[in-house]
Amino acid sequence: MTVVPVTTTVRDAAGAPPAASAPPGPGSRRRRTRAPLWLLSPAGLVLAVVTLAPIGFLLFTSFTDYNQRTLFTGTYHYVGIDQYTELLADSAFWMSLVRTVLFTAAMVAGSVLIGMGVSHLLTRLGRAMRYAVTVVLIVAWAMPNVASSLVWNWLFQPGYGVVNWFLDQLRVFGDTTDLNWAQDPARAYASIWLLIVWQAVPFIALTVNAAETQVPQEYKEAARLDGATELAVYRIVTLNHIRPTLLLVTILSVIWDYNVFNQIWLISRGGPGDATSTLGVYTYKTAFVGFHIGQGAAISVVTTLLLLGLTAVYIRRLLRSGEDL
Amino acid sequence: MPRRRRLVNTIAVLFCLVWIFPVYWMVNTAFKPRPEVMTATPHFVPEHPTLSNFVTAVTQDQFLVNLRNSVIVVACTVAFSIVLGIFAAAALSRFRFGGRRTIMVVILAVQMLPGTALLIPMFVMFNGLDLLGTYLALVLAYVATVLPFSIWVMRGFFVAIPVEIEEAAHIDGATTWGVLTRVLFPLVAPGVIATGIFSFIAAWNDYLFAYTFMQDQSRYTLPVWLASFTNPYTGTDFGGQMAASVLFSLPVIVFFLIIQRNLVAGMSAGAVKG
Repeated sequence: MTVVPVTTTVRDAAGAPPAASAPPGPGSRRRRTRAPLWLLSPAGLVLAVVTLAPIGFLLFTSFTDYNQRTLFTGTYHYVGIDQYTELLADSAFWMSLVRTVLFTAAMVAGSVLIGMGVSHLLTRLGRAMRYAVTVVLIVAWAMPNVASSLVWNWLFQPGYGVVNWFLDQLRVFGDTTDLNWAQDPARAYASIWLLIVWQAVPFIALTVNAAETQVPQEYKEAARLDGATELAVYRIVTLNHIRPTLLLVTILSVIWDYNVFNQIWLISRGGPGDATSTLGVYTYKTAFVGFHIGQGAAISVVTTLLLLGLTAVYIRRLLRSGEDL
Repeated sequence: MPRRRRLVNTIAVLFCLVWIFPVYWMVNTAFKPRPEVMTATPHFVPEHPTLSNFVTAVTQDQFLVNLRNSVIVVACTVAFSIVLGIFAAAALSRFRFGGRRTIMVVILAVQMLPGTALLIPMFVMFNGLDLLGTYLALVLAYVATVLPFSIWVMRGFFVAIPVEIEEAAHIDGATTWGVLTRVLFPLVAPGVIATGIFSFIAAWNDYLFAYTFMQDQSRYTLPVWLASFTNPYTGTDFGGQMAASVLFSLPVIVFFLIIQRNLVAGMSAGAVKG
């Protein structure tokens, strides 16, 4: 591995490494150094142990019948692709995949649209109001999701929850005092959706706002002089400028929402029945409630492969938008 | 356009009220005596504010044990991820070498994995090594999720440091190691603090790994303690649980507000002084 400090701007015509015999004098811009190797190896070794090895193990486990018995006896058998064929024939898996896709779409759409709205709102506010909204956003964002899930359970508690009381006051839905949210698929979804969106909007709003404040004023002024309405200015000028940022936060949101586990687990346990069992919950139940760990590993592999395409797009964009690598 | 301004301000006030409400409700419930918590008509302000819920929470027999577990695991995770991360970040930002891009891609890709993709194989490995229920199991799991992120964030701070500073140090005859430790590390200190806080939050908040690996009340960390906050005789003690949630969330919220300022300060402080 030939290494040249990043400060090197001159390259040999052939791109050849500098001759090793060149004595590195002071100010020499071309020293062979092993520094990055030494600097990287500790983190590299640790990452190999804690990430690459488990991923290899995940693949391996998905080809075995590793289950509850194995935990005690340590015996398991190689079963080839049986776990995968079983999985693809399992309607529960397909159902949870469809659920995950629909739910992710609903959450991403909700949080990105509201986030854009709040971002735009921030640009129209005076200093004091902007500060207040920012603090509110940061506090909502900062809530650990275990805590916010428990707060949600309390807000939506039948009989004593403030949400039911509030709906009751509206006098639109009849008597809602004892409305049970976790026991009804649509209502369980609604409350989880609200929680995810509530926590996702701050990140999106503040990130988009950082881009939106960079939109050159003169473009907007020019559009206004041409008689464009505020809506048209936003659509034509602002949206064009914040498009790359929007794409990044959308991809990130898809990845995060697709992987959501804690909130669903703590609010509905994937219930009632399997109604809110998205892929993450379904995998967890398979591996750690039924202890069909081989099967769980297979689902996890499939889940990861489905995400891989999107992850690749995200990483390509991130590397391209960054400084030269 | 005063009318328009008033409309925009009204929307902003409404937004603040709606968005902060869940947090307000958590705090409000935490300070209510038990009879005020479970009422058909909610009290929007505690009439007889009390600290009894907080006392209930911190005097639970598992609280101190679980707090200690959390502190130990989180401290180890933060230390590991910073020490390992800062060197890796320096290598990735200041040098060119073959395989650099690949390493960066791996670092980013790991962050996108679903939780179960690490949870299941780690469970299998730790079960085989008899590590389930140990601090080490959790620290390894957290380092796996936090270290790639730390490297990425700190790399951003390194990149922001102008190359001229380094060149000047080299011209003055500093070694690579000297440039690193005496020039670069002090300059990325704000980045290290921010990264440390991020790592703290990630490890402090984790529920999935702790819940799956620890399998015993005395081994739980605070998020698991929080979720298992139920009284077998009276159902969930919401007052106590909300007080516990306040205590658990407070450090994270404070850190978040600190990071905000720190990031901005760190970026503007890294300039070349003429």
